[in-house]
Amino acid sequence: MEEKNVVFVVKRFYNDSEEERRYEFTASRGMTVLDGLYYIKDHLDATLAFRASCRMGICGSCGMIINGRPMLACSTQIFDLDSDIITVEPLKNMDGIKDLVADFNEFFEKHKKVKPYLIRKVEKSVEEGEYIQTPDQLKEYRQYALCIKCGLCYSVCAIAGSNNEYLGPASLASAYRFMKDNRDEGGEERLLLVDGHDGCWRCHFMAECSEVCPKEVDPAKAIQMIKRKAFIAAFKRLFRR
Amino acid sequence: MSLKNAIGLWFGLRGKSFTGYAFVLHRLTGIVLTIYLFLHLAFLTSLTQGEEAYTALIRKTVTPTFLPFDILLVGATIYHGLNGLRLVIAEFGLTRYHKELLWVLGLIGLILWIYVSYLLYKIVVV
Repeated sequence: MEEKNVVFVVKRFYNDSEEERRYEFTASRGMTVLDGLYYIKDHLDATLAFRASCRMGICGSCGMIINGRPMLACSTQIFDLDSDIITVEPLKNMDGIKDLVADFNEFFEKHKKVKPYLIRKVEKSVEEGEYIQTPDQLKEYRQYALCIKCGLCYSVCAIAGSNNEYLGPASLASAYRFMKDNRDEGGEERLLLVDGHDGCWRCHFMAECSEVCPKEVDPAKAIQMIKRKAFIAAFKRLFRR
Repeated sequence: MSLKNAIGLWFGLRGKSFTGYAFVLHRLTGIVLTIYLFLHLAFLTSLTQGEEAYTALIRKTVTPTFLPFDILLVGATIYHGLNGLRLVIAEFGLTRYHKELLWVLGLIGLILWIYVSYLLYKIVVV
């Protein structure tokens, strides 16, 4: 099996102390960055803290900055990286808890703000059955429903890095997911939540959020489509007066 | 949220993709054009001292020494304008192909930049 020596440069911190720690070991082809971190924890330094769960790109727990770019550690092959020196940092635009573990509280609070659930004027009872949806209706929002809330898009966003109040790409994409769902009846209510200075209009369209998304959700497109919806709604309001 | 982190995200190139480079260049050309706008307005104030004062000042800037700066300024203007157009189109949700549009407008901009630079060269040097 093909092997090579790699150096993991891990940005570690706890409380106020911050340091870069280097770990050298032999990696074999097929090892992911997450496997590398587990190797370090098992063999070199048991105090290293990181978050991971499913190990197959579904749970979104192991998002971190690898060689300067937000990625899922479990989906990143060590042999696919350009360099044998691999820098690993916690996600940006979030407070840190310890080492590579970022605090997602603010991220999820913002997600809650867009009401990421179906809003119905009158709820159907269980006896009345489910809300029927055709494959074409599902296709309308499916791409945006694939978000795993890994926070990579939020971490790469320049706006989220300079404005605490900005909702961020993941929340806005989630809002758009429900706007496109034919079962949802909270269109106007939700649009009011995202149509503001700290909502869709704060986005400057760098589109890096879509570039780093491991699920190809395309939050940048979702935000621009919300802008279009908000613009059309404002235009209609103008003539309603 | 630190200033260093924010500056890195707005202006840093490490880890960014092609659209990220376009974003950074858009900010930088925007800053250059803002500085130029103030310089331009400062130049215009010489008109208050009469036409001759203004012409003398302008003549100083239309020289081979200033030509590279003029060419760079034209480049910044063309890039900022065309990329701005791409952003408006994308922000109204009018195209899914904003990355392809960047390549197309980039090529148009490059041709335009070379042509305008040639015209400037003819005016100043030839």
